[in-house]
Amino acid sequence: MKGIHASLRRIVAVLHARNLEYLRDRASFGWNLLFPVLIVMALAVVFSGPPRALFSVTLIDGEAPAMLAFPGIETISAAEPRALERLSRQQTDLVLKADAQAVQYWVNGNSAAGAILERLLVYTEDRPLTRGQTDGEAIRYVDWVVPGILGMNMMYSALWGVGYVVVRYRQSGYLRRLKATPLRKYEFLSAQIISRLLVTLSASAIVFTGTHLFLDYKMVGSVGLLFLVAVLGALSMITLGLAIACRTESKEFADGLLNAITFPMLLLSGVWFSLDGSPQWVQWIAQALPLTHVLEAARAVMLDNAGLLEILPHLGVLVAVCMVGMLASTRLFRW
Amino acid sequence: MSDWILEVSGLKKSFDDVVAVDGLDFRIRTGQCFGLLGPNGAGKTTTLAMLEGMELPSAGEVRYQGGPLPSDYQERIGIQFQATALQDHLTPYDNLTLFSKLYDSTIPIEQLVETFRLGEFIRRDARRLSGGQRQRLLLAMALVHNPEIVFLDEPTTGLDPRSRRDLWDVVMRLKSEGRTLILTTHYMEEAEVLCDELVILSHGRTLLEGTPQQLIADAGVADLDTLFLNLTGETLVKTAEVVA
Repeated sequence: MKGIHASLRRIVAVLHARNLEYLRDRASFGWNLLFPVLIVMALAVVFSGPPRALFSVTLIDGEAPAMLAFPGIETISAAEPRALERLSRQQTDLVLKADAQAVQYWVNGNSAAGAILERLLVYTEDRPLTRGQTDGEAIRYVDWVVPGILGMNMMYSALWGVGYVVVRYRQSGYLRRLKATPLRKYEFLSAQIISRLLVTLSASAIVFTGTHLFLDYKMVGSVGLLFLVAVLGALSMITLGLAIACRTESKEFADGLLNAITFPMLLLSGVWFSLDGSPQWVQWIAQALPLTHVLEAARAVMLDNAGLLEILPHLGVLVAVCMVGMLASTRLFRW
Repeated sequence: MSDWILEVSGLKKSFDDVVAVDGLDFRIRTGQCFGLLGPNGAGKTTTLAMLEGMELPSAGEVRYQGGPLPSDYQERIGIQFQATALQDHLTPYDNLTLFSKLYDSTIPIEQLVETFRLGEFIRRDARRLSGGQRQRLLLAMALVHNPEIVFLDEPTTGLDPRSRRDLWDVVMRLKSEGRTLILTTHYMEEAEVLCDELVILSHGRTLLEGTPQQLIADAGVADLDTLFLNLTGETLVKTAEVVA
């Protein structure tokens, strides 16, 4: 009991010191809050105009109907659940599944573009048609991109706030100084994880609430579930950062490693745009990136009111990343 | 209890092909100030790291009070490293509070502030301290848990003469409290004033061992620096100046 108490006391002491260091670094602290707000505002201004006048058709499989030859129709391919999800968000106007004998199609009952495309399909298609319908309001780009920006900010804050800082401590000799005390490595690592988790979640909550007040973006799901996604997402990034930092001795090398991890996530995890329609291999890579799962789970909760079971596969991946990161960092960590 | 708080036998340390410490044997008496002297690259810091339990020897051993280093050895020793960074944005008070909480039993911070005269800059960002103020803070941090052995790795390197004298006063006070002090330096005057006994190292080996007065008398020279010059053809003072 005495040992646990001493251990907790040491964790809290290091956690407190790290929090002080972060909060007193006003430039970093301010930038962490200001940066995502500025991006959201800029995007809201840039994309506040009317939606593009372009029809979008999602093809599940089979032979493309003749109507797709018309100019002004963008065609992408997707699996059926994903295609219908896009239709319900009005990210696509019509979903088609065709074979040699028949064509099955779905439209969104609230979409004018969908109604026009339906007429065009009926007019141009000889095969028998089967109609399906989904409902759902259109989402604005800002609704879609806000989770992306929050996730991106979380990624940078967690990876650099832990990975880079621990390497800086090592390079400056501060870790060696701590090693000369009774502080255990798991105590040090726990304090770093908790400190950065608190910082990341607080910053995300402030940005989330603040931007919601003036942008009124879509949030139809459970706040508790979104919080769970944020906690697991932040933890997965933090432990990834620790795994990178556990032995790295040079800040420059750590910088390179962190960039090598964040850059693919920035491009391929769907922060700014959907990867639907991109080559399959790109989508496979995206599925291997933790940020992809953070964003897909967050968007499912915020935009589609998804429940725990629906986002469970994403949460499972995040838990796995946390465990691997934690195991690697505790096993390999050097002061 | 053994008279010898630390005993070193056959101590060796290699880093890949480089032999940093090459077979050292010496003993340190409880309550004395013991000096490890030598120019850069002599193996002082590596030897100190093994005495502190921070590095494992490649061969040989360090014994504490006649036995192996105990599991709570870190609670019994205090270390002032040659170059220690502190967390950015923390004040001396924050640093002392942090280090106090890492140990089970500690000296009150107010007492440390008074002993090491930290009062005038206790709430200042530690990055803005002068060299002397910083060394006093580091020494206070090393003593926060009232250790029986204190390791001082070149504590006055880079300090101006007044700050160096200030630090000597503090070290003298620690000696008078009966603590065992283990000091590395390449300032011979410092060694003569502070150390009860010392070893002079060169290329990881012991050149000479004894009290400063005895070594000077035996060699028939005026001071330790002349003695070292006679032994190796190198002067410690010049080495120290380059480092400073």
